[in-house]
Amino acid sequence: MSKRSLTLVGAAAVVALTLTACAGNGGGGGGEKTNGEATAFSVDRDSLASTTEPGTKPVADVTWNLPYEPLSLDPMLTFNYAENTVDANLCEGLTRITPDLGTENALAESVENPNDTTVVFNLRTDAKFWDGSPVTADDVVFSLARQVGPESATYWSDYFKNVASVEKTGDAQVTVKMTQPDALFEQGMSSAAGSIVSKAFAEKAGEQFGTPKGGLMCSGPFKLDSWEPGKAINIVKNDAYWDKNLIPKVDKLSFSFIADESTAINALRSGDVDGQFFYLPPAGLSQLKDSDATITFGKSYIFWSLRAIQPTGTFSNPKVREALLEAIDQQAIADVVFQGTSIPSPVLTGPAYFGTGEAAEKFQKAYDSYTVKPDIAKAKELLAEAGDISKPIVLGVQGSSAVHEQTANLIQAAGQAIGLKIETKVIPVEQFGNLYFDPKAREGLDGFFTTYYGNVTDPLDVYTTFTPDSTNNFIKYDGAAKELEDARKTLDPSKRADYTIAAQEKITQDLPWMPMGDLPVILVQNKKISGAVPSSAYLGYPWAATIGGVE
Amino acid sequence: MSTPAFLLRRLGSLVLVLFVTSFVVFGMLYLAPGSPLSFVLGPRGGTPEQIAKVTEQYHLDDPFFVRYFAWIGDLLQGNLGDSVVYRQPVADLIQGRIGTTVALIALATIIIAIVGVGLGLFASLKGGWADHAVTTVATLGLATPAFVIGVALISVFAVGLGWFPTNGSGSGGLDTLYHLILPAIALAVASTAYQARITRASVLEEEGREHVQTAVARGLRPRIIIRRHVLRNALIPITTVLGLTIATLIAGAVVVESVFALDGLGSLLVRAILQRDFAVVQAVILVLVVAFVVINAIVDFLYTLIDPRIKLGSKQ
Repeated sequence: MSKRSLTLVGAAAVVALTLTACAGNGGGGGGEKTNGEATAFSVDRDSLASTTEPGTKPVADVTWNLPYEPLSLDPMLTFNYAENTVDANLCEGLTRITPDLGTENALAESVENPNDTTVVFNLRTDAKFWDGSPVTADDVVFSLARQVGPESATYWSDYFKNVASVEKTGDAQVTVKMTQPDALFEQGMSSAAGSIVSKAFAEKAGEQFGTPKGGLMCSGPFKLDSWEPGKAINIVKNDAYWDKNLIPKVDKLSFSFIADESTAINALRSGDVDGQFFYLPPAGLSQLKDSDATITFGKSYIFWSLRAIQPTGTFSNPKVREALLEAIDQQAIADVVFQGTSIPSPVLTGPAYFGTGEAAEKFQKAYDSYTVKPDIAKAKELLAEAGDISKPIVLGVQGSSAVHEQTANLIQAAGQAIGLKIETKVIPVEQFGNLYFDPKAREGLDGFFTTYYGNVTDPLDVYTTFTPDSTNNFIKYDGAAKELEDARKTLDPSKRADYTIAAQEKITQDLPWMPMGDLPVILVQNKKISGAVPSSAYLGYPWAATIGGVE
Repeated sequence: MSTPAFLLRRLGSLVLVLFVTSFVVFGMLYLAPGSPLSFVLGPRGGTPEQIAKVTEQYHLDDPFFVRYFAWIGDLLQGNLGDSVVYRQPVADLIQGRIGTTVALIALATIIIAIVGVGLGLFASLKGGWADHAVTTVATLGLATPAFVIGVALISVFAVGLGWFPTNGSGSGGLDTLYHLILPAIALAVASTAYQARITRASVLEEEGREHVQTAVARGLRPRIIIRRHVLRNALIPITTVLGLTIATLIAGAVVVESVFALDGLGSLLVRAILQRDFAVVQAVILVLVVAFVVINAIVDFLYTLIDPRIKLGSKQ
């Protein structure tokens, strides 16, 4: 714990140096790199990877680190980095995300839409759970139906909110009826929300399902071998996996839970750990550059943003937010805060969400119509129209997070440049989580920073957060409610893109969340192995099934 | 005082201490902002229905005394409760981790006893350059926090030389011992330095005592003087400090476990506090309090062995 403050001091020193370097150059203008030496990395959006060189040799053991110990492996309760990193190899759904962020069939042989409110899943018949029992329509009905209804404990309730019924309609067929057309349901089924678990096993385990004691029963390319609480989760190769292309070359994969970033870096450097996905650029990542580890930056859904969380106050004024965003130098955030590992983005959903075809072209066109270059003069103009801005803006900063503090510093500077008073309030890391569901915890704050990601390749998946009844929409922002509702009801991707772009236009104008840059997935692999999936798909695709030894 | 009476009295005070501690800790957790809800509902928060259901299921809205006495009631039936966040019995969580912490502290204690007392004796008996050297090293050791030493040890011996693993507690037996060497050293450094200084000081003090001077004047052999007159008397402060040190190691283990990613009680406690996981925090604290009281009782016993004139349980 205390060690983190050490890295923090170091990081703060680096920022101070970089900032002075900036000032010395008379910089601060435009999106050019602040200082070549100051940024440890340079990531270009066009060069982001979705695969790594396949490893060819069988490997006996691989040790992989998670940033913390999962709380549960029950797919219904996995909506976070560590949990999904593990589950992606163990459990699979009817469809799955692919490394390049598309979708393909998995347990479903085909998916049909006889009408706008019906989805029919025809199941493949050769899939088996790890215990040898077949994956049946009953298991599919159980796995999906247990997530339907407002009281279900599922973390994925958003995808199930329009589900009317889940029924077995044949020996190998399950039909889902919707109360209204829902473009996100079918897409969401490619995430852990759609993972199929063994009904018999889950019912027997009850509340303990997915815990170290209760275990897990899925049908993925790896089997859960053991979960030693506090120490490791061990998974082993599933020889009987139906998809012969994804039978692992790794016999045993052990997950460790090193939370301390510099210990994790040291473990990677020494080879005690063979790989890890980093979800925020750690201060020590550059130490890996001259070690036996390779770093890959992958296509990613993750973005960094500043949320407005109050219905009143200076920051509740969209004009103020617009002015502030105009004054913020995202390139500086990328270089200084993220050491070159973030990519400025004018909107919340960057190109990773665009997909292919006509819809993608539309999204790209809309994206290109925005700019991220700061314009102080324009910012001042906008602010002049904003009215009363006398009350200071208070931003919540997560304690012991250098990324939070540094971003806040840069934003304070941007605010100062145009005459906005911005203050910060440090929220201890242990209380930061409360901000998400406890309005009392948000009192006295106007905004806070957060990373966020969608689960499927569709900007609507993120923007649906701005429907007025969304749990994450603290200010009940409803400026794009109509467009979002229309988009969600529209199953045709190209027509949906039109609605989504209209919503995006309003959201990007009103800025209930301010975009602060896209964050690539950071994959670190020891040179002995290769083949892990470096894109955001690692949270849903069996990314370890493609790992092999390197000659 | 007889041994059974001593044990009974210690047991009584242990129960009292446990009761007060649990009440205070429970009260502080209750007053501190935050709740385990965010960890139960997931990072996206929950629907109002989900929040209501979980709050009811775990009695999160019950008044303080209702929750506290429900917990005490369970405890009296030998049930430590369930972790809200991990959905597991607390006893299981502790059982899996207590071994690592005990092994870590035991190893550190051995290092402190041997190296600390050894250096102290060496400094005080040899004097001169040895005294200077030990005093300087001890000052450095005392001033350096355990996590700095931990990071330095990992950099040099694990990453640089590759002699030791960087993290983890190994697979049991000798492998665990091997994994725990660096963490134990990191944990022991400050206490070893302190132990060395205390040992040095008490030996010097005893050396200056009248009866020692008399013995010297009588021409007794130095070896006998040191063993019979100096060491025996110096052992009381040395033992006291060693006992107290073990108790502080329990706190120090929290930091070291985090640096070396060990699955011990310390890291469990820290996480449970962060997650407002009441039952886990309470149980771990109780285990630590029991350990503390037991260690103190053992130290009291040792006094009577070192110096038969000291009566068991006396205030001397």
